[in-house]
Amino acid sequence: MNNTANKHYPRSRWFIQRQNLLARITSLQKQWRLFRQQPLGMIGVLLIIIFGLMVPAQPILMKTIWDRRRYDPYVGFDIEMMPHPSSPSSIHLLGTDGMGRDIFSQLLYGSRNSFRVGIGAAIIAITISTLLGGIAGYFGGAMDIFLMGISDVFTLLPAVIILLLFGLIIKMNWFLVALTYGIFTGLGRQAIVTKAQAVSLKTKSYIESARIAGGNHLHIFSKHILPGLIPIALVHAVMTVVGAVLTESLLAYFSRTQDYMSWGSMIWMGQRTFRWFNFKGTWSTIVPPALSIMLFCSAFYLVGRALDDVLNPRLRKR
Amino acid sequence: MYRLIIRRIIRGFVALIVFQTLLFALIQALPYDYSVLFFGDSVLRNYIKTTLGLNRPYIIQYLDWMTGFFHLNLGKSFMAYPIPVTTILLNKAPRTLLLFFSGILIAYFLGIWLGKQIAWHHGSKFEIGATLGGVATYTSFAPWLGFLMLNVFSWHLGWFPFQKLIDPNKWWRVNIPADLILGFMVISGGLAFGAIALLWYFTRKLRHTLIRWAERATGCIIIGVTLWVWWAHSGFDYLAVDILSHLVLPLATVILLSFGETMLTMRTTMLETMNEEYVTTARAKGLSESVIRNHHVARNAFFPVLTRLLLNIPFVLVGSLAIEIVFRWDAMGQLIFNAIEYQDIPILMGALSFVGVMTLLAHIFLDIFHIFVDPRLRYTGEFS
Repeated sequence: MNNTANKHYPRSRWFIQRQNLLARITSLQKQWRLFRQQPLGMIGVLLIIIFGLMVPAQPILMKTIWDRRRYDPYVGFDIEMMPHPSSPSSIHLLGTDGMGRDIFSQLLYGSRNSFRVGIGAAIIAITISTLLGGIAGYFGGAMDIFLMGISDVFTLLPAVIILLLFGLIIKMNWFLVALTYGIFTGLGRQAIVTKAQAVSLKTKSYIESARIAGGNHLHIFSKHILPGLIPIALVHAVMTVVGAVLTESLLAYFSRTQDYMSWGSMIWMGQRTFRWFNFKGTWSTIVPPALSIMLFCSAFYLVGRALDDVLNPRLRKR
Repeated sequence: MYRLIIRRIIRGFVALIVFQTLLFALIQALPYDYSVLFFGDSVLRNYIKTTLGLNRPYIIQYLDWMTGFFHLNLGKSFMAYPIPVTTILLNKAPRTLLLFFSGILIAYFLGIWLGKQIAWHHGSKFEIGATLGGVATYTSFAPWLGFLMLNVFSWHLGWFPFQKLIDPNKWWRVNIPADLILGFMVISGGLAFGAIALLWYFTRKLRHTLIRWAERATGCIIIGVTLWVWWAHSGFDYLAVDILSHLVLPLATVILLSFGETMLTMRTTMLETMNEEYVTTARAKGLSESVIRNHHVARNAFFPVLTRLLLNIPFVLVGSLAIEIVFRWDAMGQLIFNAIEYQDIPILMGALSFVGVMTLLAHIFLDIFHIFVDPRLRYTGEFS
C-alpha cells in the first residue's frame, strides 16, 4: 500500500470519539421522533414542564410582587381577611388555609419538594438496581446467589411501613425519605428485573467478540452491559418517581416528616379545617394539593409508559 | 426439576430467616419502648418492663422471638396485654380478606378486560381515554380519593353509610360478634367465586355464543339465588347487608386505585404478542377477531399479569393502610398503624411477618408454577 491511501488510518482518538458522539445523537433524535408520536407521552412532558416552571416561580414572585408577611408559605398571615380558611379571591388566588397562609404560594413551594424527593429516589434506586442486577446477571455464580438473596429479602419489606417506623427513630427530611425509598425499591423487584435483562444481554454475540478481542470484565461490564441496561433503568426511574412522591405524600399526610412544606402535609393541614358537611367555602385547602399530586404522578407515569413503548423493541411495529 | 423446587424452597427459607432478623433489628432500633407511656412513675415503668420482658438482653429476646415464630406463637400484645397476637391477627384477617382480596380480584378482571379492549383498539381515542382514566385513578392520593368518595356518595347523595365496619343500631340486640358474620361472608363469597369460575370453565367449549352466555347468565342467577336463600334462611341477612353497604365505598376505592396497573400491563403484554407470527397465521386461517383476541393473544398475556398481581399484593396491603384509616375499617392496616404509634412490638412484628410470609409463599408458588409452565427453566435453572 502507498502512503496516501494509508494516510487517514488509524483514525485519531478524537475522530472516533466524535463519530461515536454523532451516532449517539442521531439515535437519540430517532428515539425522540418515536416518542413525539405518542400523544400521552407528550401530555406528560408538558405537565412536567409546567411543574418544573412552578419551582422557580415561587421565589421569583416572593422577591418581586408578593409581600413576605402576607405570602410566606410558612409564617405568612393575612390580617385583613377574616375568618381564616378563606375561599379564593383576587388577593389569594386559591384562598388561605386555617393558619392564614396563602395556598397558592404553598403549592408552588411544595413542587420543589416533590421534584427533589422523586428524582433523588429515582437516581438512588436505579444506581443500586443497575449495578446489583448487572453484576449478578453478568458474573453469576456465588455473586448471583448472594445479591439475589438480598433482593429476595427486600421484596418482602413494604417501604411505606418501614418509612413510618423510621419516622419514629430519626427526623425525616426529604433526603432521607428519598434515600430510604430508593434503597428499598432499588434492592427489591427492580434488581430482579434488571438481572434478567443482564442475563439475556450476556448471551449476545458481541459480548463474546469483545472477550475474544481481549476486553477484561471491567471493560465489558462498563462498555457493553451497562449501556444495554439503560432503557430498562430509565423506565424504572420514572416509575420510582411516582412511587416516591406518593409515599412521601402519605408520610407527610401522617405528619411523619419534619418541618417542610409538601403537598401531603398541605392536605393534612387542610383536612383539619375542611368542613365536609357544607362543601362550600374551604374546598380550596384540600383539592389543589391533591390534584397536584395526581397530575404530577400521572405525568411521570405517562412519560414512563411512552418511554417503555419507545425503548421496548418488541412493542415496535415491524 | 425437583432439585430446582427444593432449592427454591431452601432459598425462600433463608430469605425468611434473614427477613425476620432484619425486622427484629429495625424494631429494636426504636428510640423508646411501650413503657414510655408510663413515664414519671419509675416503679410502674420497671414493673411493666419486666412483665413485658423488655429489659432482657437482646439476644435472649431475639432467640425467644425466633423460636416463638416457628411455633406460631407470636407473643402477647402490649396494648391489649393478655391477648395473644395470633388471636388478634386471626380476628382482623377476614376483614382485610373481604375488603382487599375481593377488591383486588374485581380490579384484576376489570383491568384484564379493559386492557384487552384498549390493546385491540390500539391508537384510538378510546385507548387514550381509558389510559388517562386508569393512570389518573392509579396515581391519585389514596386518602383524598377516599374522602372524595365519602363526601360525594355518603354525605351528599346519602347512598351509603358514612364510615366504620357496622352500624351499631342494627347490631345491639344481636348477641353474635360481627367477625363471625364477616367470616361466613368471606366463606360464601369464596364459594360463589369458585362456583362462577367452574361455570366459566365448563361452558368455555360451547360453540354458540348466545347459548354460552345464556348458560352463564342462568348459572350466575342460580348461584345468586342460592346464596340469597341461604342467608335469608339463616336469619342474619340484614346484618350481612349492613356490612355489605359499609363495604361498597372502600371496595370502590380499592378497585379504582388498583385496576389501572393491571390494565396497562395487560395492554403492554398484548401489544408485544400481537406482533408475533402465529397471530398472522391465525388471521390467515380466517378465524374471527374475537377468537384471535381471546384465545391467541390474551392467553399469552395472562401469565405476566398474574405475576404482577401476586407480586403487588404486599404493596396493596400497605396501600390499604390509608384507605382503612380514612374509612375507619378496623383491620390489618389500621392495626399496623396503631402498633407503630404505640410501639406495640409483638403486633407490629407479627403483622409484618404475616404479610412477609404471605408474599414469600406467593413468590415460591409463582416460581414453581413457572417451572411447570415453562419447560426451558428445567434445564437452565434460571428464575426470572
